[in-house]
Amino acid sequence: MIAAQTLTLAEKQQEFMAQVLDDERALPDGWTPRHAAGMDIYRNAYRARLVDAVRDTYERTAKWVGEDAYRQAAAHHVITHPPKSWTLDHAADGFPETLRELFTNNPEVAELGWLEWAMHQAFVAADAEPMDAAKFGEVAASFAEEDWASMRLTFLPGTEQLPITHDIGKLWRALGDEQAETPEFTLEQPLHCIVWREGFKPVFMQVEQHEGHALEMMRGGASYGEMCETLIEILGEERAVAEAGAILGRWLHNGLIASVEK
Amino acid sequence: MTTSDPLTGNSVSGPFSGFGLGLRRTHYQDFLEGDVAVDFVEVISENYMVEGGNPLRILEQVRAKMPVIMHGVSMSIGSADGLDRDYLKKLKQLADRIDPLWVSDHLCWTRTSAHNSHDLLPLPYTHEALDLVCDNIDHAQNTLGRSMLFENPSSYMTFPEDEMTEWEFIAAMSMRTGCYLLLDVNNIYVSAHNHGFSAEAFLNGLPLDRVRQVHLAGHTDGEIKIDTHDQPVCDGVWDLYAKAMRKLGPVATMIERDDSIPPLPELLEELDMAAKIAERSRELEPA
Repeated sequence: MIAAQTLTLAEKQQEFMAQVLDDERALPDGWTPRHAAGMDIYRNAYRARLVDAVRDTYERTAKWVGEDAYRQAAAHHVITHPPKSWTLDHAADGFPETLRELFTNNPEVAELGWLEWAMHQAFVAADAEPMDAAKFGEVAASFAEEDWASMRLTFLPGTEQLPITHDIGKLWRALGDEQAETPEFTLEQPLHCIVWREGFKPVFMQVEQHEGHALEMMRGGASYGEMCETLIEILGEERAVAEAGAILGRWLHNGLIASVEK
Repeated sequence: MTTSDPLTGNSVSGPFSGFGLGLRRTHYQDFLEGDVAVDFVEVISENYMVEGGNPLRILEQVRAKMPVIMHGVSMSIGSADGLDRDYLKKLKQLADRIDPLWVSDHLCWTRTSAHNSHDLLPLPYTHEALDLVCDNIDHAQNTLGRSMLFENPSSYMTFPEDEMTEWEFIAAMSMRTGCYLLLDVNNIYVSAHNHGFSAEAFLNGLPLDRVRQVHLAGHTDGEIKIDTHDQPVCDGVWDLYAKAMRKLGPVATMIERDDSIPPLPELLEELDMAAKIAERSRELEPA
């Protein structure tokens, strides 16, 4: 190994970082047992800080799987996804995927993890005023008939959604309320979970799949007309017409919509 | 009378001084609802470098009540890969929004271009590192449009290639860049123990006229002491603080607690202790 004196500062820092990330790495030439003891402190601090940072976002998930399983999962995530960003918040990114890989027999774990991630994102999302029904009415009053089909919506920053196969809402509340008993969390049919922010408080609701598809489409830039066509395919024309209006009303009532353009 | 510039103290009242605490989530309600008897609060900058939401709203409400210092942990001023442009941009946005007394960070590095340790990693005290740190400080201060404070870190190892002491490095850094200093007394105490140097030599070697803030904190004892901020300030650190305050002019002092955070009255008692020590020290002849 090359002596430290001949390395540039950049090379020394790359080696030091590699030492922090890898417990098994051989120490550089010239390092003594005292250096090894110091490096142990940096390694432990690195792992502990990141495992705690992940827990800050996934508190309920940690409670659901238990402390030992959580620590193993978080340590695995830190090793497989060493952080790159300056913000510690991003250390928790991708943890639901890690949970999906690790808890294959308990798929509700990854779904609960996703809900916690989305709630955390919504908590610090950009501030925006939702459009209420009255304001929407004012805008829509100027619509020609064809404008409805081309109407596009933007949603509040922090709005997220996920198809779910477990009642993670019930789990969320039970874990927050310190309920002793495990609630029944199976779903008769898959739903979608939608997360957004009401004022400064992140909130969520579970909706039927077709509403989730509709939101997914419109968040992706689809028009209201395209959304209605998809609803017709799923629900049939008669129900789709009524449901399209009801969905729009719910989104306005719940404050998901930030703006509308024709 | 207040100063027009809390750093330079270009007025009869001198630089900003007073006694403050870190603003931590567990004490948000105390600061929002009551009149907490502090002269300022210090926040971890990165906790508020977000798009929006409640943390920023609370910070603005607290800022309306008292001066705020922005203290960062992720600038990575010693990074050989340079400074993160996105980080600097967001830091400036927050500083412009909050109008802090000043912006500070640590003399350390946290990242390479590939990874971020989220830890305050030690620098070798070499001329190469000094040149690099000074370039990065120039970059940061020019981007922010203000002078910054840099804090002496706790460290757990030194490097065979060191060419100067930590205090020589800091003195040269401050002289070359015009940056001010955040003197962490606990960090001096911890590093002095860990590396076998004299804490008083450290103090004597610094340009103390550049110090604008003092940090006090607790640490974890052991063969190698660790800067954990999870317990009260120990007697040894209080003694060193008293010595420092005999040498320093008026500077802002705060208690840092980041883990095992006690109720606010307990921290205020510790802060009161700091105020008493500072007052007694100033009555004595400079050391």
